[in-house]
Amino acid sequence: MKPAPFGYERPRDLNSALSMLAAAGGSAKVIAGGQSLGPMLNLRLVQPELVVDISGLAELKQAELRDGELVLGALVTHADIEDGRTADVTRGAMRGVAANIAYRAVRNRGTIGGSLSHADPAADWISALAALGARVALRSLAGARVMAIEAFVVGALESALHAGEIVEAVHVPPRPVSAHWGYAKSCRKTGEFAHAIGAVLVDPARASARVVIGAIDTVPIVLTDAAELFGGRVAADYKQRFDARVADALLAKAGISDAAERHIHVSVLKRAVHEAAA
Amino acid sequence: MNTIALNVNRRALEALAEPRTSLADFVRDKLDLTGTHLGCEHGVCGACTVLLDGVPARSCITYAAACEGADITTIEGLDEDEVTVELRAAFTREHALQCGYCTPGMLVSARDLVLRLPDADERRIRVGLSGNLCRCTGYVGIVRAVQSVIEARRARNIAPQADGGRTSLGPVGSGRAALGSNEQPPRPARQEFAPASDGVAPGVIPDFIPATVLEQRFTLPHAPAKVFAMFDDIAGIAACLPGVSLTAPPSPERVEGAIRVRLGPIAAAFEGAARVERDPATLSGRIIGIGTDRRSHSATQGEIRYRLVPLDGGAATTVELSIGYTLTGMLAQIGRPGLVRDLARRLVAEFAGNLDRHMSGASPRETTPAELSFWSIVSGVVRARIARFFGRGDEPG
Repeated sequence: MKPAPFGYERPRDLNSALSMLAAAGGSAKVIAGGQSLGPMLNLRLVQPELVVDISGLAELKQAELRDGELVLGALVTHADIEDGRTADVTRGAMRGVAANIAYRAVRNRGTIGGSLSHADPAADWISALAALGARVALRSLAGARVMAIEAFVVGALESALHAGEIVEAVHVPPRPVSAHWGYAKSCRKTGEFAHAIGAVLVDPARASARVVIGAIDTVPIVLTDAAELFGGRVAADYKQRFDARVADALLAKAGISDAAERHIHVSVLKRAVHEAAA
Repeated sequence: MNTIALNVNRRALEALAEPRTSLADFVRDKLDLTGTHLGCEHGVCGACTVLLDGVPARSCITYAAACEGADITTIEGLDEDEVTVELRAAFTREHALQCGYCTPGMLVSARDLVLRLPDADERRIRVGLSGNLCRCTGYVGIVRAVQSVIEARRARNIAPQADGGRTSLGPVGSGRAALGSNEQPPRPARQEFAPASDGVAPGVIPDFIPATVLEQRFTLPHAPAKVFAMFDDIAGIAACLPGVSLTAPPSPERVEGAIRVRLGPIAAAFEGAARVERDPATLSGRIIGIGTDRRSHSATQGEIRYRLVPLDGGAATTVELSIGYTLTGMLAQIGRPGLVRDLARRLVAEFAGNLDRHMSGASPRETTPAELSFWSIVSGVVRARIARFFGRGDEPG
């Protein structure tokens, strides 16, 4: 339960960090809060030659409103969001998600950028932020790029990050006053990884809905226009119109062959829809 | 070894430690502060919880080197702490401990709840303590103790502090180190494992019963006889398998090689050998392999059974694969079968695409840096059991 030996560097700024990663050519791992990588290092599932600790980089600890969006630096922790130390353009949605991630001692160090980079299908942010329509900003020595969260996660523990590239920030659009939010997850034990996640952002006034079915062991199902789940149109009565059969069919199509498992996912999604409509 | 300078229980001190030394091992082994207990060592049990810059953190998955300049308070530093004094009395009164192993971490988490929770709501206290496991008490006494301290303090008009007093952003304990250089780090000297070509390939490859079996299938726009002939071309098949390389010229019955697989940051390279069996009458076959990953000290046995079924009147073929494996060693700690299924799905898709291109006369696509490898000898590997560790939950969200 002790990690294999590794080299350790604490770069002074983001550019030095990117240079170190580029020079290491794939044999280095970035560590921020270490709440996912730490366990994997201790279990020796991961044995990097070099660990680049970015947790001290002030550039990544910013949180600001920019062009109406909230831009959260990669090192903002779950507890920072939970406690409201960052602005919240989602009218409580992100605070609620953050407050239920793992345990407080983990939230005090675990970061939003680290969680996204780890791309664990069962983690909260990849589902919640996809439902909120957030984007992720990546940076390498070659430059910067921005992509939708749903494009960033490409498989279980697989993200679109290239070697030498890191998550720099998350861009969160404001949640309209007319948009309802619901988020539900199922964990056998509080704080454990979720076995099912449902996230919905429904705006009856604009007849739009974004829905995410997450924690399905692979890329979450993201419906940017989820009218099909509500009988073809999104209106004020969406709670009544929610069609569990459509959700079940989506899960079957995503390769979930176990009917009991699909039932759990559909039930959790339904809970999220009800919460949004409440 | 690096010199690490930090403040422990209000004393500034320095000690030598390796980068891999956890904060828990640092305070226990270097400073003799053995009140911090280690249970699971992967962030689940909460026994190692300490205060880092005044708020709780897991000292088993926080490396001492990452805490340079930080303020650490262990249970020994809470002797005179006002809240902890009240909690100690309440724990005694409510019989909130038996063996005491979880108690230091429990007190640190309980103190945080006393400071932050607005009132003594039992549900919120239980949720707040869910990251600290106690195997003796059943939690009833612990919850009562925490409730009583919160009630008493609120009755004395001591207001809660929802953010625990923290004002800055970022991981607790970070950001007060003297910043390092921007020069390229020297390549860490690390023990290189000898190439495994000598004596690694086992002579006899036994049959076995796989611990896990996955079924996969794909179709190819080629006649079954042509596909079956292709499956006889071991070198050709190996070239279509992402991450697979041969270490010796294959014979029709035996192949020696290596497979690299990667699941996120988990990487393994298994070297070994496989036995090949074919049955032309049923257009089916079996490949049984055995391999070891030296770096993780893990071993795997894998079996691929394939059967070719004519499709579209024999113009195309459905390839039915049954992939079975058993994994032992370090990597067997992985326990999230679903994640491995996702990996296997991606690998099989890539294998099928390569096979089709190969049979159509094109060369297999360059494997992505992801080194996806299908050979579930391997992929199975990873798939096997991430659960034990993943299954619990100090996820970062």
